[in-house]
Amino acid sequence: MTSDHIHPEPTTFLKKHVFSVDHKVIAKQFLWFGLVWLGIGGIMAMMLRWQLANPGVPVPLFGKLLFPRTSGVIDPASYNTLFTMHGTIMIFLGLTPAMIGALGNWSIPLMIGARDMIFPTLNMLSFWTMVMGGAVGFYSLFVPLGATEAGWTGYPTLSTTVGGVGQGETLWAIAVFLIGASSIMGGINYITTVIRLRCPGMNWMRLPLTVWGLFLTSILNVLFIPVIGSAMILLVLDRVFGTTFYVPASIMSGGTGGDPILYQHLFWIFGHPEVYILILPAWGVVCDLLSFFARKPAFGYRTSVGAMVAVTVLSAVVYGHHMFTTGLSAMLGESFMLLTMIISVPAEVLFFNWLHTLWKGNLRLTTPMLFAMSVIFVFGLGGLTGIYLATIGTDIFLHDTYFVVGHFHLTMAASALFGTFAAVYFWFPKMFGRMMSERLGKLHFWLSFVPLVIVFCIMFISGYAGMPRRYYDHTSTEYLRPLQHLNVATSVAAFLLGAAQLIFVYNFIKSRWWGEPAPQNPWEVGTLDWTTETPVPYYNFKTIPVVQCGPHEFSNPVLGPDTDWIYQTEKLPG
Amino acid sequence: MSMLKATLPSLAFLRSRWLGCPLALMLTSTWALAQDKRWGPGEAASDYGYRFHDLFWLITILVSVAFALVVILLAIPVLRDRERPGHRASFDHGKSLHDKRLTAVISIVIFIILDAWVLVIAMQDLREAHWALPDAEDPQTYRVEVLAQQWAWNFRAPGVDGEFGTADDIITINELVVPKDRPVSFNMSSKDVIHALFLPEMRMKMDVNPGSINKTWFRPITAGDFTILCAELCGFAHYQMSGKLRVLEQGLFNEWEAEASKLASTAFDADDTEAQWAWDWEK
Repeated sequence: MTSDHIHPEPTTFLKKHVFSVDHKVIAKQFLWFGLVWLGIGGIMAMMLRWQLANPGVPVPLFGKLLFPRTSGVIDPASYNTLFTMHGTIMIFLGLTPAMIGALGNWSIPLMIGARDMIFPTLNMLSFWTMVMGGAVGFYSLFVPLGATEAGWTGYPTLSTTVGGVGQGETLWAIAVFLIGASSIMGGINYITTVIRLRCPGMNWMRLPLTVWGLFLTSILNVLFIPVIGSAMILLVLDRVFGTTFYVPASIMSGGTGGDPILYQHLFWIFGHPEVYILILPAWGVVCDLLSFFARKPAFGYRTSVGAMVAVTVLSAVVYGHHMFTTGLSAMLGESFMLLTMIISVPAEVLFFNWLHTLWKGNLRLTTPMLFAMSVIFVFGLGGLTGIYLATIGTDIFLHDTYFVVGHFHLTMAASALFGTFAAVYFWFPKMFGRMMSERLGKLHFWLSFVPLVIVFCIMFISGYAGMPRRYYDHTSTEYLRPLQHLNVATSVAAFLLGAAQLIFVYNFIKSRWWGEPAPQNPWEVGTLDWTTETPVPYYNFKTIPVVQCGPHEFSNPVLGPDTDWIYQTEKLPG
Repeated sequence: MSMLKATLPSLAFLRSRWLGCPLALMLTSTWALAQDKRWGPGEAASDYGYRFHDLFWLITILVSVAFALVVILLAIPVLRDRERPGHRASFDHGKSLHDKRLTAVISIVIFIILDAWVLVIAMQDLREAHWALPDAEDPQTYRVEVLAQQWAWNFRAPGVDGEFGTADDIITINELVVPKDRPVSFNMSSKDVIHALFLPEMRMKMDVNPGSINKTWFRPITAGDFTILCAELCGFAHYQMSGKLRVLEQGLFNEWEAEASKLASTAFDADDTEAQWAWDWEK
C-alpha cells in the first residue's frame, strides 16, 4: 500500500519550487510564509508597545510612512486595526503555517516512513489557499473605507455594520474563512496520512510524539474550523446582504433580529480548541526533544498520549470560560468552571512526564533542547495563571485586563512559538542540509526567553492592577495613569524581545545558504527522518523502511557501553 | 545669556529622527517612573472586593508553590545531569504499573489541592455574592438601569417614587450616584455594540449586550469617588468611555436623590421620546 504511492519528480522550475506537490517543498514554503508573517505581526506588536509606552508620540523610523495623515502618530482607529491584525496574523498566518503547516508537512511523512502525504495535490491547494487568505487579509488593511477594528475575536455587533468599523472587516472575515479552509485541507491530509501511510512496523505506540501531537491537532482542525467558517459566513452575510444573524431586533429598524451572543458561542467553540490546535504540536515536539536530548526514553509514553487525547476531547467542552462575563447563567458558568479545572489534570500528567524524562538524564543543552525546556517554564507560568481565569470569582475582575493578555500569550503564543523555534533549530539540518550556528542560537534563546518572561509577567501585574486591554491610551483615565510605569517597562522588555529576533533572522538566512554542511544525523536520534540521507532525496526513502523498535530507545543497557541510541529500523540486540 | 548658550553643545540632534525617538522613550520612562506609581488595584470598595482578594491570594499562594516545584524539578537535572564523559542516562520508560499509579496519584493530589479547593471556595462565593441578586422588591435595593452606547454610559434611577419610566427618573450620563452600604442592582442593555461595565474599585464587571438585559449587582462599603470604565472593545473611542461613580452616605444620598428627582420632574418633556428609554424592571 505504501510503496506504490509515488508521483514523478517534476522537471520545470514552476512545478519544482512553486506549485510543488512534494511535502518537503510545501513544508519549506509554509515555513518561509509563516516566518515572514511572524515578522510582520511582530512589527505590529512593536508599534502597539510604542503607542502604549509613549501615547501620542510619533512612531520612529517608519511612522511617517505608515501614518502620514497623523504625521507618524498611531490614531485610535489604527491602533485597533493593529492589535486586530497582530492577533489574526500571529495565530492564523504565523503560528498555524510555521507550526502545523511546516512542521506537519516536514515531519509526518518522514517520521512515519512515507514517501509523501497521501493527498499531495490537496496539500499544495492547502498552501495556496492560505496564501490567498493572507493576501486578502493584508489587502483588508488598505481598503478605502477603513480596515478592521473589531479585535481578532471580531465580536458583533461591533463587527457588523452597526459598529461602524471599516469595510476591511468583511475582507478580514473572508481571509479567516480561507485560512480555515486551508487548515481543514491540511488536517484531512494529516489524519489520513498518519492512519494509512505508516510504514510496516510503525504501530501507534511507536509513533514519535511529535506525530501524535500533529495528528490530534488535525482532528481538532477538521472538527472545529468549520464552526468558525460558518460564523464568518454569517458575519459576511450580515455585513454585505443585510441579514440579522447577529443583530438583535431592538437595534434594527423593524424586522426580526438575531443575537450577538450566538457569534461568541460559535467563535469560542472553535476558539478554545484553537489554543490546543497551536499547543498540541508544540507539546509533541517537547515530549520528543526532551527525550532526544536527555538521552533517555520519554517517560510514560502511553500516559503522555493518553493525556494529549484527553486534552483533545476536553478542549471541546471548556470554551464557556471565555464568556463568564457575558451573562452566562449560573448553571452554565459553574459547569464550565468545573470542566476547565478538569482539563488541568492531563496537563499535569504531561508536566510530570516531562520533568521525569529529564530526571537522571544525560542532558545535551543544545539550542532545540533549551527552547523545548523553556516551553515547560513558559507553559507552566501560563497554565497556572489560567486558574485565576478559570475561577469565575477572580475572572470577573481580571477578564479583559492585561492579566488575560499575559496568560494567553504565555500559553498559546509563547509556548507555541518556542515550540516552533525548537522544531526549526532541530529539523533545520535535515531541511536545508546545513547546520545553524549553535552560538547564535543560544544567544537568541537567552535574549528571547528572559525579555519574554519579563514582558508577560509585568502584564500580570498590570492586569491585577486593573488595566483593561485594547485601550489606546491608559494615561487618559485618572485611575489608570499611575500604571503607566508598568506599560513603559513592558515596552522596553518587548523591544528587547523584538530585537533579539533579528539574531534568529540573521542566523536562519546565513545558515540557509552559507552554513556548515550538515551530517546525516547530527543529533544522534533514531527516528525515521534521520535514517534518510541529507539532503532528503525526492522519494524520501529508497526502500520503505521497516520499523523494529520505538522512537525513544536511548541509553538502553542492551546497546552496550559505546552507543546510547539506535535507529527505529534496527532491532534491539538481545 | 547668549554667551552661555553659545558655549553649550548644540541640541539640534534631538530633532533628528534617529536619535530623537529613543530619547523620547527614555524621557517618557523617566516621567513615568517619577509619577505616582501603583502596583495593585488599590483598596476594594465593595464587600465583593474582599472576596475577590481572598480568592486571589489563595490562588497566588497555591500557584506559586506549584510553579516553584516545577522550576526546582527543572533546575536539578540541568545542574546535576549534564552530559559528561562516562555519564549515562538511566534507562526508564516509565511504563510500569508503579509509575502509572504514581502519575495518577500525583495528578489527582495536585488537582484536589490546586483546583478543587479553589473551585469549592469560588462556588461558595458566587452563590453568596455574584449570583445572589438582591430582591428587587426590597426597598433597600437601589435599582439602576444602564443603557450603554458608543461611547457613553446612560444611567437611569427610579427617583423618589421608586418606579421606572416616570417623570422623576434620575437620568445621568457618565456619572452614577449610589448610596453606601445598600445593594445596587443593575439591569443593563446596549443601544449599539457590546460594552462591559467595569467598576475596578468594586471589582465588578459585566458585559452590556444589545438586545438582551444583563443583571448584576454590588454593595459599596466605602463612600467616595470611584471609576467607571468600559472593558469590552466597542470602537475607536473605547478607551475614553469612562465615567465617575459617586458613593454617598445614606443621609447625603437622600438629599441628593430628592433634589435630583425634583429637577428631573421639572425638566421632564413627555414629547421627547428619545429620552424615554426605560424598560420594566426585569427580575
